[in-house]
Amino acid sequence: MRHRFAIAAAALGLLACGSYPAPTERLVSSQAAVRVAQEVNATAVPQASLHLKLAQEQVEQAKQMIADGNNQRAELVLMRAEADAELAEALAREANFKNQAQQALDEAKTAKQRLKGDGK
Amino acid sequence: MKRMLHGPWAPAFFSLALLSSAPLSLGCGSAQPPKELVEARAAYQRAESGVAGKLAPAQVHVAKKSLDDAERAFDDRGDEPDVRDKAYVALRKAQIAEARAGALGADQQKSLAQKEVGQATQTELHATKKALEETKNKLAMEQQQRVDLERRNKEALEQLAKLAAIKEESRGTVITISGAVLFPSNQSVLLPGAISALDNVVTTLKAAPDRDVVVEGHTDAQGARGYNMDLGLKRAESVRAHFVSRGIQPERVKAAGIGPDRPISDNKTPEGRAQNRRVEIIVSPPERK
Repeated sequence: MRHRFAIAAAALGLLACGSYPAPTERLVSSQAAVRVAQEVNATAVPQASLHLKLAQEQVEQAKQMIADGNNQRAELVLMRAEADAELAEALAREANFKNQAQQALDEAKTAKQRLKGDGK
Repeated sequence: MKRMLHGPWAPAFFSLALLSSAPLSLGCGSAQPPKELVEARAAYQRAESGVAGKLAPAQVHVAKKSLDDAERAFDDRGDEPDVRDKAYVALRKAQIAEARAGALGADQQKSLAQKEVGQATQTELHATKKALEETKNKLAMEQQQRVDLERRNKEALEQLAKLAAIKEESRGTVITISGAVLFPSNQSVLLPGAISALDNVVTTLKAAPDRDVVVEGHTDAQGARGYNMDLGLKRAESVRAHFVSRGIQPERVKAAGIGPDRPISDNKTPEGRAQNRRVEIIVSPPERK
């Protein structure tokens, strides 16, 4: 099915510019990566937010390239977009884990101080 | 070979690698790698030799494949837009590896800290339980001591009641002991039998440490008044000295010689005179607060 779709896409691509198929799958997967990054709240973490924005811009750029028939460049730009979206997600998760760790460390510190106070 | 990358020779190794690839690049007409590729190499090196190498090796491997892909494209075609794209992706993959490792590291830190909190709570709980147990034991012990003290006091009073008269008066509790029980005739040295009677008084005095004591020596009216006054005082002093020797604080006890001045019976009969020869121990009433 997917194979047949690819062939169809390739055929369409060939019809469109006579050389390179439209990177439909790459477009779908990079858009999915952007959504995942948004779901883990990448916009709330400055560094992650930056890469999410880059990803979104590159997706738009690639769409324009596909419309212009520049499929080969579009595919590579989508790879960049997907990598940025994935990095946004990873950074957001990292920040989230670090927050939780800091909270736990603070709690441990308070608990230790409380113990010291009791020991007097 | 892989070990060498971790060592202090890593920069040297890399410049060697760069040198060896120089002729190839020259062959393609471009010696300068694009900025993206330089950054990707550095990022990969950092990830591979850092925490990511330990915590996220799979992700580091993905970054390595991505970098190899970019290096091959650069070797083949030199600085082209698609080579930059691949290098850009390789740079991101290395950064992703680091972020994933950072997340894992933070998660491990969190688990450790939570374990510490758990241990601290456990220790606190243990300490609280122990303190509670100690307080309980202490209270039980104090309760037992109080019961023992009351019992001893009661026994002492019972023993004392056999030899002495105990009356509650406005001046306090008055314990009256016959002179015949305490002293030989006309003397002020305590008889052996007096000791146990007085020790019972000591027990009751210790049970009421906040109450002062006056010991009064009384005599009958026979003989010279001055002699009787003196005898009364000496006997009172003897009793006081015995109390102090048994651990009653000296400042709590006063001795007074009353002599024949306050008879409680008729001095004309032998029985009356015997009743008048006595020692009175007055324990002051408890202070009203």
